[in-house]
Amino acid sequence: MKLPLSNLTGLAMLALSGVHAQAETPRQILDSYVAQAGAASATRGETLFRGQFSGGRIARACTACHTDDARAMGQHVKTGKVIDPLAPVAQKDRFTDPAKVEKWFRRNCNEVLGRECTPQEKADFTAYMITLK
Amino acid sequence: MANIRLRADRYGIDWKNLLTLAVAVGAAVLWIARAPASDEALFPMPVGKTYLNECGSCHTAYAPGHLPARSWRRMMAELSDHFGEDASLDQPAHLSILKDLETLAADNPAANQRMRRIAAGVPAGATPQRITETAYFRHLHDEVPKHFWRRKSIGNPANCAACHPRANEGRYGEREIRIPAQ
Ligand code: HEC
Ligand code: HEC
Ligand code: HEC
Repeated sequence: MKLPLSNLTGLAMLALSGVHAQAETPRQILDSYVAQAGAASATRGETLFRGQFSGGRIARACTACHTDDARAMGQHVKTGKVIDPLAPVAQKDRFTDPAKVEKWFRRNCNEVLGRECTPQEKADFTAYMITLK
Repeated sequence: MANIRLRADRYGIDWKNLLTLAVAVGAAVLWIARAPASDEALFPMPVGKTYLNECGSCHTAYAPGHLPARSWRRMMAELSDHFGEDASLDQPAHLSILKDLETLAADNPAANQRMRRIAAGVPAGATPQRITETAYFRHLHDEVPKHFWRRKSIGNPANCAACHPRANEGRYGEREIRIPAQ
C-alpha cells in the first residue's frame, strides 16, 4: 500500500487545468458567431437585451437580472445574488470563455424566451455588449 | 532502525512523500492554531473553483455542511429542473461536485459539532432541498425580522452572502454578520 500522495498531486493538476478553459477575446467570440450567422447588428442586440418576452418561466427580460444598464451590477430576480456587469468594458472577463458564454446563452435564453437563442441572436447580443463603452 | 525501514518499505513511503506529509501536517497545525474558538460557525468548502463557478453563479455557494448527503444526492439528480432553472452540468463537473457535497455534507463521518447538530435536526425520512426550510436555519434566524428578508439587496433568505459576506468561504460567524440597511 502506498500513501495516496500522488493522487493528490493529480487532483491538484486536474483542478488547475480546469481553470484554463480556452481564453479568447470578446472579438474572437463575436467572430465565431458571425461565421455561423452572418453580419451582426448591435442595434438588434440591444433590442434583444431590452425586449419583453413571455415564453420563459423565470423572467420576462434579460434586464430582469442584468438591469437596464449592462455596465452596472445586476441582481438575480429569484435568489437576490448580485451579478457582475455583463459588458466587457465594466467586467473584463466577460465574453472571454466560449464554453461559459454558450452555457449562459442556453440557460438564459431558455429562461426568458422559452427556447435557445439562434447564432444570429448570439452574434447581435455579443456585438451590442462589445460596443458599450 | 531496521524495524522502521521495514515498515517504511512496506508502506512505500520514501523521503519525498515524508517531506510532503511533514509540510501538510505543519500547515494543518498552523491552521488549527489560527482558527478561532471551536464553535465559530465555520464550514468546510470544496477545494478548487468548480463548485464556486457552477454552484455559486446564481446564488451563494452554500456550504455543503448545511444539508445531509441524501439531500445533495437528490438535488444533483434533478439539476435540469433546479427550482425551475436549468443548472445541469457536464459529467466531469457533475461527478466532482457530487463527491465534494457527499464528503462535506452535514452527516459525513468527519463533520464538526455544528454540522452534526444540523444533521440531527433533519427527520430520518426527509430529504430537504432548501437549507432555509431546515429546523436549524429557522432556529438561528428566528430573531431576524420578517421585513429584513425583503430588503432590496437581500431579497431572499437564501441570499446568505448578503448578510454573511464570507459565506462563499464557509464563514458564517456572528462577528462577521453585516445586515444591509436597504
Ligand atoms: C434569472 C436571471 C437572469 C436572466 C433573466 C438573464 N441572465 Fe444572463 N446571466 C445570469 C447569471 C446568474 C449569469 C452568470 C453570473 C456570472 O457569471 O457572474 C449570467 C451570465 C450571462 C452571460 C455570460 C457572459 C460571460 O461571458 O460571462 C450571458 C452571455 C448572458 N447571461 C446572457 C443573457 C441573455 C441574452 C439574457 C436574456 C435572454 C439573460 N442573460 C438573462 C442570470 C440571468
Ligand atoms: C442557473 C441558476 C442556478 C444554478 C447554476 C444553481 N442554482 Fe441552486 N438555486 C437556483 C434558484 C433559482 C434557487 C431557488 C431560489 C428561490 O426560489 O428561493 C436555487 C436554490 C438552491 C438551494 C436552496 C436554497 C434555499 O432556499 O435554502 C440549494 C441548496 C441550491 N440551490 C444548491 C445548488 C447547487 C449545489 C448548485 C450546483 C450544482 C446550484 N444550486 C446551482 C438557481 C441555480
Ligand atoms: C437578513 C440577513 C441574513 C441572511 C440573508 C442569512 N443570515 Fe444567517 N444569520 C443572520 C443573523 C442576524 C444571524 C445571527 C442570529 C443570532 O445570533 O441571533 C445569523 C446566524 C447564522 C448562523 C450562525 C452563526 C453563529 O455564529 O452561530 C449560521 C450558520 C447562518 N446564519 C447561516 C446562514 C445561511 C446558510 C444562510 C443562507 C441560506 C443565511 N444564514 C442567511 C442573518 C442572515
